[in-house]
Amino acid sequence: MRQWQTLVKKELIASFRDKKWIWVPLVLILLAVMDPVSNYYLPQILESVGGLPDGAVFEMPEVTATDAIGMSMGQLSSLGVLIFVLISMGTIAGERKSGVAELILVKPISYTTYIMSKWTGLLALVLVSYVISMLFAWYYIGLLYAFIPAGDFIFLLFFYGLWFILVATLSIFYNTVFNSPGLVAFGTIATIIVLSVITSLFGQKLNYSPSNLSNHALNYLQTGKIQGALIGSAVTTIIISALLLVWSIYIFQTKEHAS
Amino acid sequence: MSILTVTGLLKAYKDMTAVRGVDFSLSEGKCIALIGPNGAGKTTILRILAGLLKQTDGDVTFSGKEANADIREFIGYLPQYPVFPSWMTAREFLLFSGEIASLPKEEAARRAEDLAEQVGIKDALDKRISDFSGGMKQRLGIAQAIIHSPELLLLDEPVSSLDPIGRRDVLTLLERLKKEMTILFSTHILNDAEEVCDELLLLHQGEIMEAGSMEALRQKYQTSVIELEFQENPEQYLEKLKSLPGIMDCKLERQIIKIPAADIAEARKCIFQTATEENWPIIGFNLNRASLEDLFMKAVKQ
Repeated sequence: MRQWQTLVKKELIASFRDKKWIWVPLVLILLAVMDPVSNYYLPQILESVGGLPDGAVFEMPEVTATDAIGMSMGQLSSLGVLIFVLISMGTIAGERKSGVAELILVKPISYTTYIMSKWTGLLALVLVSYVISMLFAWYYIGLLYAFIPAGDFIFLLFFYGLWFILVATLSIFYNTVFNSPGLVAFGTIATIIVLSVITSLFGQKLNYSPSNLSNHALNYLQTGKIQGALIGSAVTTIIISALLLVWSIYIFQTKEHAS
Repeated sequence: MSILTVTGLLKAYKDMTAVRGVDFSLSEGKCIALIGPNGAGKTTILRILAGLLKQTDGDVTFSGKEANADIREFIGYLPQYPVFPSWMTAREFLLFSGEIASLPKEEAARRAEDLAEQVGIKDALDKRISDFSGGMKQRLGIAQAIIHSPELLLLDEPVSSLDPIGRRDVLTLLERLKKEMTILFSTHILNDAEEVCDELLLLHQGEIMEAGSMEALRQKYQTSVIELEFQENPEQYLEKLKSLPGIMDCKLERQIIKIPAADIAEARKCIFQTATEENWPIIGFNLNRASLEDLFMKAVKQ
């Protein structure tokens, strides 16, 4: 337990000195806030670039607070995930490649502790950045559209957050599989894309897919009803993450730690 | 009393076999050199002992433990090219190393200070490791390897990349550490081994060619050379020397007669006897002991 603490502390200090604790939340805030804000000011923006030609009819769709937070989530699900993959692709693979892992792994620490500390360290950065960016989005949407009730927002925050836990775990998993950070990034992104394509192709049958988490969560905001599908995909996501983590530890234990 | 016993250790990769079934044991409290040319399998063996690689076959048994048990807590290891998390200071890294080796925080802090003093990086303790020179990194590497007071210290080419001063410092340090723990270090520089080690393991193409104490090996491969220098042209004495009973062969090189002899005592007796009887004008008598390099070449050629 103490070794785990020491290793987590090292991870946190490393990402702190890397300035990751500054730029990752900043970029995510930007992503989350950008679409709702620019959408709100769209008429003014159109006006300032010359406006529409006379006689053109342009009807602005009615955008609700739920639609707006949906835009934020859309950005986080695409570019946000990309940022998370970028910051995590070398967390183990890079350490092994450079040789730092050689100094750490000859010390009497269990491989489980090592993987768990990497996972915790990454999750801390990912989840804190995610929560901060969503809070900003919630605040600006509240100012410009309407405030989403705090209780509903926390509910959304929790269920959609599970998706990022899965993304981080997936990256840790590929970190134990591949020795090159590039391959780790590729594997993680490819898996996420394949998962979402399959989910949209077989939408009905795969209603519990982790890719559906954001849709189901938004659906809750719109209807105010907790549906079985939301709980279903949440449980699937948790189970897959746990299995991936155990599998990563297994792979790491059977792997050689020097080339 | 051996602290570690290795039997039938084999490490095979898809396209090559790095270690071909070696047996050896390390005596407690000794400094043992693992000598061999590049590619002999030294690093592979050390990495297997340190638990970084898994052997294809064979057993590594630490005294009092089951075969192939996890023995990392008893082992300190310094790789050939240690890579540190360069954003840390030396103190942070030593503390970190101590704490992941299960030392209590205060103990780790105290050991970090102590060891920094011992290896001579006390003044640089709070500097970022990225600012360290090669020699300082090597010292820091040794300090982190022994922070948890291991019983066996494994060093992979600890001095090969250092300048003469750094080399000297590290060898002196090893000399001191020898009193506290068993040391196994690999090197391809025979002089370094000769200087600090008590025992040798000669490795060549993944096999142990010879093992034993320095003295035992010397005796085994001893064909020391007696060099005789004369006041006048020594050619006339060549034939006479060849006919002596204790001497098999001799040759002339740059006005010096060189006589390889298996039994030095016997050869010396013959030479001196004849020389006194016939009143040879000898002005130099020199006994050249075979160097480690000669031993190595011989063992490898067999």
